[in-house]
Amino acid sequence: MRHYSILEYARFRWFKASLALCAIAAAAYLWHDPSPKPYGGTALGYTLGTIGALLIVWLLWFGVRKRRYDASGNLQGWLSAHVYLGTALVFIVTLHTGFELGWNVHTLAYVLMLLVVASGFYGVFAYMRVPRVMTANLGEHTLDSLLLRIGDVDREMREKALSLPDGLFALVDRSVKGTKVGGSLGRLLSGTDPHCPTALAVHEWPRAASHLRDETAAKLSKDVYGLLLQKDQLLGRARRDLRYQAILQLWLYAHVPLAMMLLAALVAHIVSVFIYW
Amino acid sequence: MKLLVVQRAPRPDGGSTQTKRTVSADWVRVGRNASCEVHLADPRIALEQGMIVNRGGPVYLEGEAGSTDITRKTVRSVRLKPGEPIEIGPYEIKVLDTPAGFDAAISVDLVRPLEAAPGPATRTAPRSLSALGLSKRATAWAGLVAILLGFLVIPAGRVLHLPWSGNDRSWDPGPVILAHQQVGSKCSACHEVAFQHVKDRACLECHPKTGQHVGPELKPATLFEGVRCASCHKDHKGARPMYRDSDAFCVDCHRDIHSRSAQAKVENVSDFTAGHPPFALTMADGTTVRRVRPDRAHPAKDDPHLAFPHQKHLDPNGVKSPTRGRVKLECANCHHPDASRRMFEPIAFEKDCQECHRLEIEPAVTGRQVPHGKPADAVAMIDEFYATLALRGVPDSFQKAFGVPGEGLLRRVGEPTVAERESALRLASRKAHEVAVDLVEVRVCKTCHEVKRDAEPKGSPNTLAWTVTPVRTSNRWMPGAKFDHQAHSRTPCADCHDVSKSKKSSDMAMPTIESCRECHGGSKAQTGKVTSSCLLCHGFHDARHPWDPDFRPRNPAPRVAQAEPRAR
Repeated sequence: MRHYSILEYARFRWFKASLALCAIAAAAYLWHDPSPKPYGGTALGYTLGTIGALLIVWLLWFGVRKRRYDASGNLQGWLSAHVYLGTALVFIVTLHTGFELGWNVHTLAYVLMLLVVASGFYGVFAYMRVPRVMTANLGEHTLDSLLLRIGDVDREMREKALSLPDGLFALVDRSVKGTKVGGSLGRLLSGTDPHCPTALAVHEWPRAASHLRDETAAKLSKDVYGLLLQKDQLLGRARRDLRYQAILQLWLYAHVPLAMMLLAALVAHIVSVFIYW
Repeated sequence: MKLLVVQRAPRPDGGSTQTKRTVSADWVRVGRNASCEVHLADPRIALEQGMIVNRGGPVYLEGEAGSTDITRKTVRSVRLKPGEPIEIGPYEIKVLDTPAGFDAAISVDLVRPLEAAPGPATRTAPRSLSALGLSKRATAWAGLVAILLGFLVIPAGRVLHLPWSGNDRSWDPGPVILAHQQVGSKCSACHEVAFQHVKDRACLECHPKTGQHVGPELKPATLFEGVRCASCHKDHKGARPMYRDSDAFCVDCHRDIHSRSAQAKVENVSDFTAGHPPFALTMADGTTVRRVRPDRAHPAKDDPHLAFPHQKHLDPNGVKSPTRGRVKLECANCHHPDASRRMFEPIAFEKDCQECHRLEIEPAVTGRQVPHGKPADAVAMIDEFYATLALRGVPDSFQKAFGVPGEGLLRRVGEPTVAERESALRLASRKAHEVAVDLVEVRVCKTCHEVKRDAEPKGSPNTLAWTVTPVRTSNRWMPGAKFDHQAHSRTPCADCHDVSKSKKSSDMAMPTIESCRECHGGSKAQTGKVTSSCLLCHGFHDARHPWDPDFRPRNPAPRVAQAEPRAR
């Protein structure tokens, strides 16, 4: 069965609805001839502002709706509408401003709205792209099974390396004890560890093992080197997986708090405008 | 291929269990998947890790982990030989002696059970954003509270009379107009009550003389119910004044003005191009004012009681000047822009006429001129002139003036006799009389003015007096329209005011609406025309009638923000 993304939900129902909303707003904006100039306080300005505010409240409600399993409508439809109507919001609110911006709470609300939508766009992009590369990266494995395999490689490598000279064993031992997957925000997001002991061991091994003359030891060293390479490759996959997970989560750390700040700025905007009516 | 698989697994008690299975397949699959012929039930093994095939003996092939595509490049290929065990993850596979009826036999041993694998150090590092201590909820609440405090609660302190006084500059939607900048950030000067529209009275505190659109007889309060100053005048939109300049607002009433108000005296207007009546001229008529709407058949006349033929003065061959020969006159020789440069100063005789129209008493005798103004002053001056000549005139002047030989009475030798005195007085009086009548009624005043000699009062014959009809010129025949002559200075005067054929000063040369329409279009943009809204020529506020006759300033204190006194 073909997979339909939320963007295509119900044959682009919400895309069409949003397009229609934008078209109506644009037509009204062009038709309306406010004097002396277009701004949020004209009849059309108030109308667009009301639509924008209701849309924002509805879009925020998605955060509540997605946690409810007994609610009506399916979540896929809600998300599709959330994405498309959120995009239309930019258009509606921009017309509401009448392109009148300044250093004030009104423009603060506008900029926050733009940031929320921009982070949402990034989220849509991430959800469209990341799960696919995530599956390709993990293959049949899960992160846990990768970690188990790394542990397994560690044990085998350590056992074999016990028969190697001190210098070589130290490289393996550091790799076994010191390798970390994850750790800091930078490591999670880059999917790399610049100070990874395993990568260091892989890098050092050919030079360190070059003086081995004993045939058995050389064969053993080759085995261990193979295991190190295997572990390095497994680590790469595990770290990439954490990176993808972090990418899938990170935009929400901007989207959700910015949305709440937008709600606050919106309340301040509306109340202040009507105090000084 | 027929393969015997012996699988051994350690038991918790230290022993081991052993199972034997016979598998028959071309490719014996090895993997975690239960459908694999060699089932390695361990999470460290891929779902389909590899396969064993018969190539003259068992060979273990391993593709890329997870790949089910057997055509893919093999990454590991090991021929299984007795005594050479291979490792697949934690399992060890050995080749056993081939029993009869089988192609091969293998044993599968779990050499590194899951529990025995050392716990990797990797488990202890944070592996997700939430494990790093990031929290969406905490950030969201912090941001929400910070913005509500900083942009709503604190700024609202002063205006809502809360216990704190915050700065609400962040609420200012934009700069106020230049004239309001001295009010500055004193919001309450205009926004008197929170959650209420700015009232007209706030505007009238500083602008009490602003006029209504119509006089009280038309009941403006009813006509403009619900209309506030701020309906048209928007502030916080930048330093330049912003007011409603939309014909729709005017045309809403003026399209059918008589249905709005039965007393309206104007005609319907919808657009300058498509629906505007011909221009009306306002003329002073004695003590009253009349408005006339002229057309080609009935051109307007306005008698200023002055003889002035523009045609003669604008003769292309010039006019005769007493001092400079023939001079070609231009409009600008007499019509001088006023200080505003939009309109013109009234014509003044001394400045604009006298260079040619000299008020000389008697050119043959003297270059002296009488003052312009009252005839009595001129008569007095003429009397004095000839009396002086009769008393002190040298023989030459005396003879030129009086036409008889002689000289001034005081110049003669000896005391003048009574008869000589009376004769000289008579001579002077008669001459003055002649010259005055000639000057006023023939030679000078009559040239331009309507002059009527007054009846001689009884008892004093030969007393001369004239009445000159006052001249009534106007340079505002269209007081309801704003016109900027300077803005039109590139257009020749005659394009709008063609006076080259005018022989009488009662001819009016005011432009018709057609001549304006040659350049000006209506409120809709039109190629080659100046888009012209109502407010381009007309104003809204009629300064004669106050906006609110009942308005009394409430706040004697200045609304302008007080500057800090400068420290000495």
